[in-house]
Amino acid sequence: MSTINGQNQTAQGNNSPIAVASSKQSLPAPKSVDSQSVLRRLQSELMALMMSGDSGISAFPEEDNIFCWKGTITGSQDTVFQGTEYKLSLCFPTDYPFKSPKVKFETFCFHPNVDVHGNICLDILQDKWSSAYDVRTILLSIQSLLGEPNISSPLNTQAAQLWSNQEEYRKMVEKLYKPPNA
Amino acid sequence: MAMEESTSSFCNLGVLDTLSDDSIQEIIKSYNGFSVSTQALVGGAGDLSVGTEFAAHVHGLCKHGLESLVRDHFLRELEEAFERNGASKFWRHFDAYSNVVDLKKNNNPAISEDEIQQNLIRIRYQREGQMFIQKGLILYQNIQFIVSSVLMATLPPHFPEILHWYFKRMLEELSTIMAGEFKDDVSQHKDDMDLDEKGKISNRAGEMDIDEGFNNGTFSENNRLVKNIGKVVLDLRSLGFTSMTEDAYASAIFLLLKAKVHNLAGDDFRSSVLKSIKGWIQAVPLQFLHALLAYLGDSVSYESTSSSLKSPLASRPSSCCPGIDTPSEGLVRWKLRLEYFAYETLQDLRIAKLFEIIVDYPDSSPAIEDLRLCLEYTGQHSKLVESFISALRYRLLTAGASTNDILHQYVSTIKALRMIDPAGVFLEAVGEPIRDYLRGRKDTIKCIVTMLTDGTGGNSSISGNPGDSLLEELNRDEEIQEDVGLDDDFNTDDRQAWINATRWQPDPVEADPLKGNRNQGKVDILGMIVGIIGSKDQLVNEYRIMLAEKLLNKSDYDIDAEIRTLELLKIHFGESTLQKCEIMLNDLIDSKRTNGNVKATINQSSPKSVAVGETPLSMDILDATIISSNFWPPIQDESINLPEPVDQLLSDYAKRFHEIKTPRKLQWKKNLGTVKLELQFEDKEVQFSVAPVHAAIIMQFQNETSWTSKNLAAAIGVPVDVLHRRISFWISKGIVAESVGADSSDHMYTLVEGMIDTSKNGGHNGSSQELLVGDEEEERSVASVEDQLRKEMTVYEKFILGMLTNFGSMALDRIHNTLKMFCIADPPYDKSLQQLQSFLSGLVSEEKLEYRDGMYFLKK
Repeated sequence: MSTINGQNQTAQGNNSPIAVASSKQSLPAPKSVDSQSVLRRLQSELMALMMSGDSGISAFPEEDNIFCWKGTITGSQDTVFQGTEYKLSLCFPTDYPFKSPKVKFETFCFHPNVDVHGNICLDILQDKWSSAYDVRTILLSIQSLLGEPNISSPLNTQAAQLWSNQEEYRKMVEKLYKPPNA
Repeated sequence: MAMEESTSSFCNLGVLDTLSDDSIQEIIKSYNGFSVSTQALVGGAGDLSVGTEFAAHVHGLCKHGLESLVRDHFLRELEEAFERNGASKFWRHFDAYSNVVDLKKNNNPAISEDEIQQNLIRIRYQREGQMFIQKGLILYQNIQFIVSSVLMATLPPHFPEILHWYFKRMLEELSTIMAGEFKDDVSQHKDDMDLDEKGKISNRAGEMDIDEGFNNGTFSENNRLVKNIGKVVLDLRSLGFTSMTEDAYASAIFLLLKAKVHNLAGDDFRSSVLKSIKGWIQAVPLQFLHALLAYLGDSVSYESTSSSLKSPLASRPSSCCPGIDTPSEGLVRWKLRLEYFAYETLQDLRIAKLFEIIVDYPDSSPAIEDLRLCLEYTGQHSKLVESFISALRYRLLTAGASTNDILHQYVSTIKALRMIDPAGVFLEAVGEPIRDYLRGRKDTIKCIVTMLTDGTGGNSSISGNPGDSLLEELNRDEEIQEDVGLDDDFNTDDRQAWINATRWQPDPVEADPLKGNRNQGKVDILGMIVGIIGSKDQLVNEYRIMLAEKLLNKSDYDIDAEIRTLELLKIHFGESTLQKCEIMLNDLIDSKRTNGNVKATINQSSPKSVAVGETPLSMDILDATIISSNFWPPIQDESINLPEPVDQLLSDYAKRFHEIKTPRKLQWKKNLGTVKLELQFEDKEVQFSVAPVHAAIIMQFQNETSWTSKNLAAAIGVPVDVLHRRISFWISKGIVAESVGADSSDHMYTLVEGMIDTSKNGGHNGSSQELLVGDEEEERSVASVEDQLRKEMTVYEKFILGMLTNFGSMALDRIHNTLKMFCIADPPYDKSLQQLQSFLSGLVSEEKLEYRDGMYFLKK
């Protein structure tokens, strides 16, 4: 009945997405890093983080310094940390992403891998750092660390010992938890 | 009378002693005689036979030094008698007309002129008779005074009106004579150009040449008429009605002039009337006044009373009345008065109709030119602004007017007012309400861009309405710029500076100093239009979207018109702002090349792959537009299943493209583009140009003439509701029929065989060859500005929520600053504090945020 005599189609040239460095790119860090590119990297990370819509993690640069961020993590459902919210601080080195940022808990967190000062023991923030990680993956890792601590190398031994008793642990968390105000 | 006598006797008692009896006797006798003859003369029917007797008596009395007595008595007698008889008799003559006047003004008192004349003559005779009698005494002035005061005192209320109508009638008569003559002369002049050159030249200019003389009958008649009028005026004046007479003929002249202006100007804005009005003023009223003043012989008598304090207007020995040698000062004054009045009348007339004038703008420019001259003369610009603004509010800035119309009117207004007021001061005032109003409309930007590009967009062959296309404006500005360029020689700077300096004019008083920095003498139309929107970026963005739409729907690669438009826009908006648009156009050019390349090589390399499908399709039917999507506006994505052979064709094409352009790959946007297809029925063929989805739908009916909506939607790969929307196109064309199937949510679509229903679309029958997708126009392939704005705002929303999550609470300006600093998306954050505030309050009302004590919080 109908025959197609002619047809136009619109095609889209395939453009590779914004160059987020691949995991293979952990090259020897160049001595002088272009600060402009660091800025751009952080900005695009912020944009990606804002647009990602992951629940329970968030971070934002402080007022006038894009190298210092404030982060927020909420405890995942079905963990002892459910319903809690923790503030973090993230400090990016000037040669980021070739060096890892310094991440600390600002709110006290009763956790086997977090000491009383808020320092975190997490491999990707130390020796396992790669420039493929970004703020989002760091925050996600910390969020999952809350539910799955590494008991073998604790910073907080009391918490490590208590971990096996989840009910008691939950009580402890609730007792020590101070909701961040502001 | 007796009383009169006794008092006068009494008064003279003092001198009686000095008189001898004889003389007393003589005086008494003379006085009695005098009294009697006075009564006979004055009170009677004007019996002049007693004149000699009267003179003798007067003489006798005068001899005794009783002149004053005689005079007083006589005058009193005269006054009384006149009051008793003369005045009432005089006025009675006019009584007849008073009714006429009262009844209906248009019923001209036809005979009144003669009557007035007769009356006046009578009075004159009467007075002349008295004067003749009084030859011994210098009583003339007194008598005149008495007569006029008595007449004044008894003036009936309708008399000025009668005078007015009289002059009006006379003037009308005169003007018809003049007009006839005027016409005759013109036509005659046309007929025999070379004859009577000298005599005619002045006529051609619309001026009567009195001194050259008109040797034809009409002139003498009009001369006679003027003389008659002059006589009446003279009589009236001698009766003491100087000012009343003057008022009467002045008002008659003005009335006539007004009527003339209205008549000439009318509702036709296509021709300039100022000149003919001026010509008419020269030809009729001035001629009349000239003749009148000349007849009265008194350019000195009353006009020059004020000439001692010379008015600057009148003192100019102007060449304003060529043909009348050395125009008297009175005439010059009259001319100025009349012209001012004419200007003002015309100006009021034009201002009242300014809206209509601007609606027909390019045609009505003569009317605007007239108005400009009038305003230059009268300086009543503010009247124009007020009246025009209220007309705009009432007639244009209403919900019913389409944005396009408003914009066109705005442009016409700019163009028209630019003629009147090159500095743009009044334009500023008039444009403000329009701009404010347009800002409140959603489709303003879209309409502006359409206006800008419509001149060439798509149909450059149709040059209709060149005035409507703003592109033309851009073009012209371009030319002007070029002209300026040509002018550039060595001493241009100095010369130009000098010219500018001499041309400088202060801003009109109405100018608002706050809105300063007016560029001298040039009103930038484009600038004023961009001013509606606020920033050119928005305009460029909208243009980009429209351009994308246009380019995506092109089936050939012909983009000459778009290139031209873009080049013109670049002149005004700068290269950088339009860079993306340029890339889009370049994509098209590249597409053409790549398309040719792909198609040429695919046929040699793998001819068999094309022939795989059941109905082998030639690659020739496919033209691809390859775009670099980063530079294009966001493109609507919608997946559809294309018919198998077409899909095969597309993937072959893409494969070949990848071979040629490694590492680049082609990603088809299958829902975009145009399909030209031909439907073959048993009895006829119909051609369509439709969107791919329509083609895909109708293709499904090729094998199966009936589908349920669910099955059809699944086959095409679109949601059922989209299918409903899309298939309505074919239903409206009468090719597919819809019926409710077994399941109420599942419709049945059946192919209509034979297309009986085409006759229903009677209007389309003739041109059914090329039916376009009309009602689907809202289905755009590119995200509109509103969509983009919404998307932008979503970005901001996420940023705001993100920062509030981490900082708890923030004040408005901190949010603003933070967004400015960190939200460097595409496009970057560029909102004002106010815009942000309203956006935030939107979020508050959506219960996403809370607002307390000047701080924003996340809603928990």
